[in-house]
Amino acid sequence: MAGAGGGGCLAGGNDFQWCFSQVKGAVDEDVAEADIISAVEFNCSGDLLATGDKGGRVVIFQREQENKGRPHSRGEYNVYSTFQSHEPEFDYLKSLEIEEKINKIRWLPQQNAAHFLLSTNDKTIKLWKISERDRRAEGYNLKDEDGRLRDPFRVTALRVPILKPMDLMVEASPRRIFANAHTYHVNSISVNSDHETYLSADDLRVNLWHLEITDRSFNIVDIKPANMEELTEVITAAEFHPHQCNVFVYSSSKGTIRLCDMRSSALCDRHSKFFEEPEDPSSRSFFSEIISSISDVKFSHSGRYMMTRDYLSVKVWDLNMEGRPVETHQVHEYLRSKLCSLYENDCIFDKFECCWNGSDSAIMTGSYNNFFRMFDRNTRRDVTLEASRENSKPRASLKPRKVCTGGKRKKDEISVDSLDFNKKILHTAWHPTENIVAVAATNNLYIFQDKVN
Amino acid sequence: MEFKLEAHRIVSISLGKIYNSRVQRGGIKLHKNLLVSLVLRSARQVYLSDPCPGLYLAGPAGTPAVAPPQQPGEPVAGPPPGWGDPPPPAGPAAWPEPEPQPQQQPEPEPERPAESDGPGAESAESVVAVAEDAVMGAEAAAAWSRVERPRGAVTVEGSDVIPEGPRAGESQSVAPPAVCPRKRGAAGVGGGRTGCAMPGSTPLKKPRRNLEEQPAGGEEEGEEEMETGNVANLISIFGSSFSGLLRKSPGGGREEEEADEGGPEAAEPGQICCDKPVLRDMNPWSTAIVAF
Repeated sequence: MAGAGGGGCLAGGNDFQWCFSQVKGAVDEDVAEADIISAVEFNCSGDLLATGDKGGRVVIFQREQENKGRPHSRGEYNVYSTFQSHEPEFDYLKSLEIEEKINKIRWLPQQNAAHFLLSTNDKTIKLWKISERDRRAEGYNLKDEDGRLRDPFRVTALRVPILKPMDLMVEASPRRIFANAHTYHVNSISVNSDHETYLSADDLRVNLWHLEITDRSFNIVDIKPANMEELTEVITAAEFHPHQCNVFVYSSSKGTIRLCDMRSSALCDRHSKFFEEPEDPSSRSFFSEIISSISDVKFSHSGRYMMTRDYLSVKVWDLNMEGRPVETHQVHEYLRSKLCSLYENDCIFDKFECCWNGSDSAIMTGSYNNFFRMFDRNTRRDVTLEASRENSKPRASLKPRKVCTGGKRKKDEISVDSLDFNKKILHTAWHPTENIVAVAATNNLYIFQDKVN
Repeated sequence: MEFKLEAHRIVSISLGKIYNSRVQRGGIKLHKNLLVSLVLRSARQVYLSDPCPGLYLAGPAGTPAVAPPQQPGEPVAGPPPGWGDPPPPAGPAAWPEPEPQPQQQPEPEPERPAESDGPGAESAESVVAVAEDAVMGAEAAAAWSRVERPRGAVTVEGSDVIPEGPRAGESQSVAPPAVCPRKRGAAGVGGGRTGCAMPGSTPLKKPRRNLEEQPAGGEEEGEEEMETGNVANLISIFGSSFSGLLRKSPGGGREEEEADEGGPEAAEPGQICCDKPVLRDMNPWSTAIVAF
């Protein structure tokens, strides 16, 4: 099947041809805040796609089995399970409301028939088990078919209950609740490659958990200064290395990344590696510090590289080179002159995520106006695509978009001032092995596939 | 000139954001407020890069922000942004400018008439036009060099931007920060806000009480408090002067755009923001803001 492994290398080159596949979500102009998607994540096989929203709900889509009669058609994703993961809470002691918004979802590697995922809001991480039930026991002795208890004295004969098929029911149940470990807002969770532990990070601390143990966690990074007035940076994202279970990284609001080794000491305040690119003094502005804040960090599947997203660019770092990134890709450099307006309307604080494709040959991130950008690391080519209902014909190819930065606007280009900054794509996910991407545009989830020629 | 206007605008916007963050769902977001405070610091440094005697009504001689030596290449000796407002070890060190040199003040003044032109005069902020000096390109560049500081610089005089005010106030033996907001607010009410109930007064009171108690609460006792108490202090400090900020000052009209940030909070146009008695109580930093 073309697309597996090899990054979707088609004969003749690495060019992707993205087509619309599906869109999920309401078409309403008026979008309820609770419906805004805040997390998107494929599971390890790519058969399941989970989304979290601001209302604390998780919706899981499952890929349908491929139609053997049409080998070139790809399976569609349909709703598999929906559940309320987090509810709004109120901390009476501190007079603080705790939002139910799902900040991150991470799947655990599958070990049996059930699926497990971690979902987190600002304060509490939950481990959910999603299991299927397609059989039901019938013929109990002590209760009727409708569940009413039978009087034991009335039982005259004994029978062995038998399992009968039933309509598939997907159940989600919270198996663990990891609470009360974070004073600040949780921004990241990451499952370790040992499949036993995971980390959670808030603005100032990173905690290490065992998946089985909820009443305690180890604090492994603490950057809280003794005197809060000396606070200069916060943790913005953290992730475990995909293969080395002792290694993790965390990024900061100052644009730096620290790689830590848990073997070196119990408390990883001192980093093993420190990644920072020297600032370009000529591009200094009031907002230089804000736009250098890293909003996402992701290891490559190979574990050799990592990618960071700041406001205007995506950078690929070689873990062996701390002085500067090996690649820098401009996402929307045309916004550099608009930073003041973006500061005013708070867009400058938007936290964009980024992701790798399965073979690490391409990276993707979102932008405004429902645009998202893909960068092919081999061909050095990039493309801007749009997630919109207008391009929603099945298998319709997506046309590359272009933003006009100045001067005469060509046909089909869109000028910077016409961009809709309320339509932002913050969350994207790439299927682990195939060229299928899921793009969250406010309350809609778009799924695009690479056309197989 | 444009830099100064821009800086002023950014300061207003930033204060609005910090103010609004109090009422945002989910509690005060540390990351965002840190970034806003960094912007505030940068903008403030640019704004105050020119000396202006008129700004400092109440400060004793030798207090701050005089024209620093303008050497673009010079590394900045200033401290990193701070969050709280405990007293600094040394008063003059509280200000980012290395050495206060009052005698430098007259130098840029002759340039002022030549520069009070263009956008500044056109804008409604005649107060600003009066208060500000010409921002020469070189001065702006120097301001930028001042803003640039080596990363990780850890001078721990602990002073910076927001807390400058109350801390500088402390260094001048003004009331401690915890008292300042109440004092200022009360003075504001008494002094300038004739005929109107402070629109923010009721909602201001409760959060201020809560948030001010936070830093006092034992950090290590049992459950740790989310230490945004300092941010809250900042907010409560600026809350009272901020609502004054958005009212039409006696010096002239205000730009409408500033009103949108605090519109809901400061709903009475035409109120006199601060009277002289209030200004006297304020430290120079807040005075600078009010002088907008």
